[in-house]
Amino acid sequence: MIRRVVLLLTLFIAAHVTAEVQKPGDIRKSVVRITTTSQEPDYRVPWNPGSMSVGVGAGFVVDGDRIMTNAHVVSNARFIEVEKEDDPQHYQATVQFVGHDCDLAVLRVLNKDFFRDTVALTPGGIPAIESPVSVYGYPIGGDRLSVTRGIISRIDFQTYTHSGIDSHLAVQIDAAINPGNSGGPVMQNGKVVGVAFQGYSGDVAQNVGYMIPTPVIDRFLKDISSGHYDGYVDLSLTYFRLLNPAEREALGLPDNEQGVMVSSVSSAGCSFGVLQEGDVLLTIDGLPIASDGFVPLDGERVEMPEIVERKFKGDKVRFDIWREKTKKTVELELSGNWPYLIQAYRYDSAPRFILFGGLVFQPLTRNFMDAYQVDDLRLRYYYDFFVTDEIFKEHPEVIVLSNILPDPVNVYLSDLRFQIVDRINDKKIRTLQDMANALAQKSDYYVINFVGSSRPAVLERSAVEQARERILANYNVPKELSIEGGLMR
Amino acid sequence: MRPFLLFLVVLGLVRICTGEPTPRETIARAEQRGSVLRVNSTNQAYDFVHPWSKEVPFPRKGLGVLIDGGKILVTAELVANSDYIEVVRSSGEKATAKIDVIDYEANLATLRVDDQKFLAGMQALQIATDVKTGDELSVLQLESNGTPVSARALVTSVEVGKYALEDSGYLMFRMSCPLQFRENSFTLPIVKGNKLAAYLMRFDSRSQTIDAISSPVINHFLVESQHHPYRGFPRAGLDFSSTRDPQLRRYLKLQDLDGGVYVNQVDRNGPAAKAGVEEGDVLVAIGDNQIDPDGNYVHPVYGKVSITHLTTTEAYAGQSVTMTVIRNGQRRQLNVELFRRSPEDYAIEPYTIGKQPRYYILGGLVFQELTRQYLRAWGANWLKDAPQRLVYYDRFQSDLFPEKRKVVILTQVLPTKDTVGYEQLSNLVVTKLNGRQILSLDDFAEAVKDPTNGYHKIEFDEDPREIYLDAKQVEVDSDEVQNVYSLPALKHL
Repeated sequence: MIRRVVLLLTLFIAAHVTAEVQKPGDIRKSVVRITTTSQEPDYRVPWNPGSMSVGVGAGFVVDGDRIMTNAHVVSNARFIEVEKEDDPQHYQATVQFVGHDCDLAVLRVLNKDFFRDTVALTPGGIPAIESPVSVYGYPIGGDRLSVTRGIISRIDFQTYTHSGIDSHLAVQIDAAINPGNSGGPVMQNGKVVGVAFQGYSGDVAQNVGYMIPTPVIDRFLKDISSGHYDGYVDLSLTYFRLLNPAEREALGLPDNEQGVMVSSVSSAGCSFGVLQEGDVLLTIDGLPIASDGFVPLDGERVEMPEIVERKFKGDKVRFDIWREKTKKTVELELSGNWPYLIQAYRYDSAPRFILFGGLVFQPLTRNFMDAYQVDDLRLRYYYDFFVTDEIFKEHPEVIVLSNILPDPVNVYLSDLRFQIVDRINDKKIRTLQDMANALAQKSDYYVINFVGSSRPAVLERSAVEQARERILANYNVPKELSIEGGLMR
Repeated sequence: MRPFLLFLVVLGLVRICTGEPTPRETIARAEQRGSVLRVNSTNQAYDFVHPWSKEVPFPRKGLGVLIDGGKILVTAELVANSDYIEVVRSSGEKATAKIDVIDYEANLATLRVDDQKFLAGMQALQIATDVKTGDELSVLQLESNGTPVSARALVTSVEVGKYALEDSGYLMFRMSCPLQFRENSFTLPIVKGNKLAAYLMRFDSRSQTIDAISSPVINHFLVESQHHPYRGFPRAGLDFSSTRDPQLRRYLKLQDLDGGVYVNQVDRNGPAAKAGVEEGDVLVAIGDNQIDPDGNYVHPVYGKVSITHLTTTEAYAGQSVTMTVIRNGQRRQLNVELFRRSPEDYAIEPYTIGKQPRYYILGGLVFQELTRQYLRAWGANWLKDAPQRLVYYDRFQSDLFPEKRKVVILTQVLPTKDTVGYEQLSNLVVTKLNGRQILSLDDFAEAVKDPTNGYHKIEFDEDPREIYLDAKQVEVDSDEVQNVYSLPALKHL
């Protein structure tokens, strides 16, 4: 999936509107062109502000003088401009709410005059398979508003490539969706039925584009109506389909093709303490769960998590379960699950790090893994199995010696690159803050022990202090960094 | 998959032999000629993904030399997984041979000809003990017509390097030599005068360099071969790193004259551990040999050599060495009795050659003991391509599985009516069967005998955690599984 390619290609689209006047239709009063100047941090040089790029996407006016677009159109934005079809003026906009887990954002325009002649679009339902839709946006190939048409091909769960880890309902359409279409409305009978957001490059598949459907849009708008975006909630469990007759018999289940078995419950999630391994989930909010994990909803069969997808933090969900051959009813209060975020792309935040004696320490994140392309087996294991093997219990943050800026203070330490910090001066390091605290303690030696068997890194305080100014100057590291934006000790 | 050949580097173009020695070659001297035999081996490895099958057989050729006791010395690679071995004299006469002793770690083997009279009139080669950097040696080859030729090779360095398996490093002679590719083989003896000096293991035709098994390793192998049972090359069972860093040295309170290496890791129940060596110790001497901060000592003939050579090759299994360590500023001497850890002793065998992988098929579910050879089935890039949890288990097995055990995995499912819903399961570590902890396939076979309430309950260390089979039905269907998938047997233990 090529979300990144979409962004890259849009860099080269000029933001000029020709002087030719076109008769405005209603839709043209609702669709806007968004030009974003962004800075993407480089996790290999985490103290740098990042490389600049300009991208173009689309958006549309929604109720309340706001513009809806994709999160990826405005991620890491430093400056956002919006334009309307029939207005020469460029208006500055800011992000009001952004949901990186659902790739949606809502913008405000500083000058309220922008909305004087706009028409807010209203959301419709989930369009039927094979029904026609129109896609509006500013894709590559010209500067003016573009319309393409297609039909609904498929409705399914898809990974949203913006975060790289979240899966939600997505609708596949066969209209061409190209760089610059992102954030534009997909219309049917005068209503928004989706937001165009990702597709495959022509090398992979032809005419496969995806839009974010209205259940996801509605959920986002409802979530932010509280003044804060909480994001998706998750049961934080895995389950196994109970299709095997012998397994059903052994569990004492009737042969009614109902129920899935809980195979793991994350200790950081909301199901912990309520559901347990081996429980068979029979119904969710009164709806029967088939043995393949599907649930009937609004006349369709949807995967069981879709029930939870539409709920919010603090909402309840009720299960009938089969535990130790007895039927029980349990209820749990939904919340998110933070350990998953290690595998989600991060935006709108500066990379965190500690620089000590020329050694760069960073918490393990997806951006980190992408930047460094690490081969180290242990590190890859810690990343891949952070959630499933609950590595977060011992290391809520996995602190990695990610880089060594060569200096006399550290010349013999290069073989320790990509080791995971376990202890400093025998104090357990669980977070980057722990590490900052440990290094703030005055000590003649700082002995950094790593996970597994390797020698420790030993740094003398005097040597580190002597090296400080030299390293800062040589490697162009700004001094005024805090723990959040990186810390220099 | 030809797992054992992974490290044979044959780069560049294959030249068809011309029958004439090149200008840099000469006809081998008479005393060398009478000791060389061609060895042809037909090898066939087990297929670790289908453990009931063997892979395609393939031929390997090389040269062996006659040594004392009527035995023929070859590299282990040449005859690994062999089904059939024949030896050919320069006259063209053939005889069959069998493996006498084989050491995959040292990459050496001795063969015994079925009919000893076949060797009549041949001369056994002695082992050269005085090879050093700068020596000019001769690599022996045979023309297709049987004429032995020799190419000159210059010894450029003597150091501990990787042998055929990634975990084993021994003393190696590196040489530069322009060598012609003949007879489809680079498994060749290297002589100094009329003595065997080394055995060619790898030849890089681009840089024209040779990595050769060194005479001390050959000598160790031959001496140890006299011992029954063969005990192999011992290991100290520790891992070390440099103490060059002055900050580390000051922190450890080491004097500049101390030298020494930092002990990172000590194998549990290994020789060093049994002697009381601890992680964090600084190893400064073995016997009378002082150790420099990089882990070398001064060998009387070879100069600076890694201490690995001392504990693996200079010393024999069953012998003891004295290790001097500095711990908390105190020197102490520890008596380390050296021994080898056999691959069977590992939770996940580092190599499995010449024997059939163990497996157990239950209702179409295939269970095997995890081995590195199995992971190698993912190809040259197996470290990245094989299931990452299993790769991690293999790499860090000494930390993860300190007790004596094996790791039993469900490798794949042969779909049957008993496995409906389980078709997608693969490479899952089995923790229990019918409530019994599974630490080997033998445990598994035992636990199969006791189904719980008529069902086999199989538990894994990850999703889906538990599955069930109808014990009676599995029993009834077992012939069908065997027939449908043409399996020679449903288990091999």
